[in-house]
Amino acid sequence: MAKNSAQWEQLPKFPSSHYVDSRIYTDQRIFEEERAKIFNRCWYIACHESEIPNACDYRTFQHPGGTPLVIVRGEDAKVRSFYNICPHRGNTLLYDPAGNAKRITCIFHAWSFDAKGNCIDISREEQGYQSRFRKEDAALREVRTETGYGGFVWVNVDDNCGPLQEFIGNAMSELQPYIGMPLEVFHYHRAIVNTNFKLWHDTNSEFYHDYMHYFNRVTGMLQPGYFDRKCVGYPNGHVLVGSMEIKYDAYEGSKARGVGWPGLAPGGWILIDLFPGITYNLRTSVLRMDTMVPLGPNKVIIEYRGVGLKSDTREQRAQRVFDHNTIWGPFGRNLHEDLLGVHGQGRAMREGTDSRWVLHGREENSTIHDEIGMRHYYAEWSRRIGRKAFDPFDERKVSAVA
Amino acid sequence: MLDRPLVEELIYRSCLLLDDKDFKGYLDLCDEEFRYTIATHSPEIRRDMIWLDHDKKGMTTLLTQLPRHNSDHSPLTRHATVYTVRFDTARQQGDVVSALQVFRTALEGGSTELFAVGKYLDTVKFDDGKLLLLRRVVKLDTRMLGIGYHIPL
Repeated sequence: MAKNSAQWEQLPKFPSSHYVDSRIYTDQRIFEEERAKIFNRCWYIACHESEIPNACDYRTFQHPGGTPLVIVRGEDAKVRSFYNICPHRGNTLLYDPAGNAKRITCIFHAWSFDAKGNCIDISREEQGYQSRFRKEDAALREVRTETGYGGFVWVNVDDNCGPLQEFIGNAMSELQPYIGMPLEVFHYHRAIVNTNFKLWHDTNSEFYHDYMHYFNRVTGMLQPGYFDRKCVGYPNGHVLVGSMEIKYDAYEGSKARGVGWPGLAPGGWILIDLFPGITYNLRTSVLRMDTMVPLGPNKVIIEYRGVGLKSDTREQRAQRVFDHNTIWGPFGRNLHEDLLGVHGQGRAMREGTDSRWVLHGREENSTIHDEIGMRHYYAEWSRRIGRKAFDPFDERKVSAVA
Repeated sequence: MLDRPLVEELIYRSCLLLDDKDFKGYLDLCDEEFRYTIATHSPEIRRDMIWLDHDKKGMTTLLTQLPRHNSDHSPLTRHATVYTVRFDTARQQGDVVSALQVFRTALEGGSTELFAVGKYLDTVKFDDGKLLLLRRVVKLDTRMLGIGYHIPL
């Protein structure tokens, strides 16, 4: 029987850990808190080392906390990150998304900086500043940077943060044996979607939505072993979804992946969701990486990278590109469906729609259709934000349940 | 015989048939050796990228599978303008460059927005009295396609 208004408002008949108030996806105040308390405190992937292979190569990055950054490989080969903001008059220093700059020179008044963030030239310095202000006073703001976990460049704008390894813990242990060799990004594209960033991360953490994917139904869901995959939560909100073997030949037009991935079983699939919005998705022959830059409560940039081996032959790379595009390219079978799904959530859940609860209530022994991944994520989210995901505005007399 | 009006009509018919989702009609315009590619360049990773690449069989399978997938059903409208045609009379082929704009019209309300711009880089072939598409490269300038699309451009 359909619900009336009062019934629609009633708390779901689950423990409070098994649902969230949908306003956590739409409220502007909560979004600002997420930027300050989560994105400006957590390690986050800015780019891959293969995007800046040479000395003085740079890559700009819109940090999800709000600050524009530039990632630079120094002449000493070390990768550093800085605010992409001129300390003089606040102009953007580097406009192109990638390039090579021996000197980073602001186009506005020609102040120049080296790849270590030192100011090396102030035009007409002596005449204007005499001895009151020197190049030493005009260095760039550096941001904590580490490279790792498959050669990705990680940044943290919090100077007081712990090391990257402390943040990741053991969450990457199942994937690390497969990503120790030099990797290379061969695919990059972005999508701007009118939805909340957490909803995309949710989609990456629950596989119950395989019902949406014809490709996954026939190559995965109908195959033996599908329900053996376990979801494992790690400290700091990270989640591992264990491996399975995909039967690609069950989808017409697809086939068993000949190129494979070193050490990974043919058709193998390992997925790791890292808090607050990164997904490593190694599926047979391609590592797909999702990272997000939230623009507002109901708008997000999702960045997609396809990653192969740096040692790929031309033929191997072509096969990886084909495999990637079949399901994950902008015209691929699955990506469009996933985006359609979160786009629909954004439509239905935007502020004022009286969407009320989002359920994370499935318990299936922590296997692939169990919603433990999202429960684990929102426990960490609540801890960092200082709000209960099921009651973010303290309106109800319900206590948190682990 | 190769002549420009015939080439232009082939390019424009390919747009109309895809707009109408008449996939059989579209594939009938294609030679058995047809190859279709969507390509673009990423300034972010400073690489050329292939986003879709199929022979005629692959295209046929892709289009046949469409009803089994969940897709955005907003119609696309392809607008092509043939810029240049270069004939190779010895091979009975022609290389055609066309500007391409693709518009998406929302089902609800019917608002239209630009979906993508780029070019068709086509090779056409005159064979047995019929002009056919032998090669199509959709060279996209637009790389942000929102939630994407299941049907080739």
